Amino acid sequence: MKNWICIITFISLIYFQSTSASTNRELEIYKNIRCLVCQGQSIHDSNSDFAKDLKQIIKNKIDANESNEIIYQYLADRYGDWILFNPPIKKTTLLLWLIPFSVLIIIAFALYKKTIFKRE
Amino acid sequence: MKTKINILILILLFSIFIYVFYYALSSNTKNNPQVMVNKKLPNIELTSLFDQEKKISLPAKSKDLFYIINIWASWCVPCRDEHSFLMRLKDEQKIQIYGINYKDSSSNAILFLKNLGNPFYFVGLDVDGKNSIELGAYGVPETYIVNSSGIIIFKHVGPINENIYQKIIEIIK
Repeated sequence: MKNWICIITFISLIYFQSTSASTNRELEIYKNIRCLVCQGQSIHDSNSDFAKDLKQIIKNKIDANESNEIIYQYLADRYGDWILFNPPIKKTTLLLWLIPFSVLIIIAFALYKKTIFKRE
Repeated sequence: MKTKINILILILLFSIFIYVFYYALSSNTKNNPQVMVNKKLPNIELTSLFDQEKKISLPAKSKDLFYIINIWASWCVPCRDEHSFLMRLKDEQKIQIYGINYKDSSSNAILFLKNLGNPFYFVGLDVDGKNSIELGAYGVPETYIVNSSGIIIFKHVGPINENIYQKIIEIIK
């Protein structure tokens, strides 16, 4: 009897663990997808047809063991990066971040060289 | 000489700086419904509205230079408005139109086509909206022009009006 209880508890634990993990993953993705036909909502917050369709497709893709990156890429290919609340870093975005820092470094280097030169 | 080189380097850096910021500001980072234009039409399989046994897949193997894909539903009021333009495209321009019937009841869709005329070469079902999402659609109605290589060359979100009709003719003529 004890063995049976142990087995059932073990199986149900595994089952609930896997379903909650899948639900958490779904939620994480839903919250990062913009509902393009709603005003500033994610598909998680929306009940529009568009949001419902996307949720179903995402669910199917999760069930098919597709990674988050592949799912985001699938949606970005069809709707652009705007559909993602957290868009991927692109070359242009990286340049925008790097330029001010590199300018600062150049100025600092120039100032340093100038002071050294003056001291000498 | 050294100062001149330094000034030149500074001007060059400043120009790159301005160019990158100008490019980033002018690029469209907001919603762009035209993302699918100039891309290959994704592969979708459609089951006929009239005969569940009949299936076709898109991109279609068409002998014509272009064909149209229209997403519609009988419950969609703007679809009713644009229907006469679809009829004109079929009758006057002799272009093949593939209809995708979005989340509709089959009996209502058939009645809709019986009452208003059937402009479609083939009507496929999209019971769960999956096919429409595959095309990058936002809802109904939506119209795409696809060329014989399977590339989407035009996309219109919303009902076709006289302006859009003229635009479509301009493209397919």
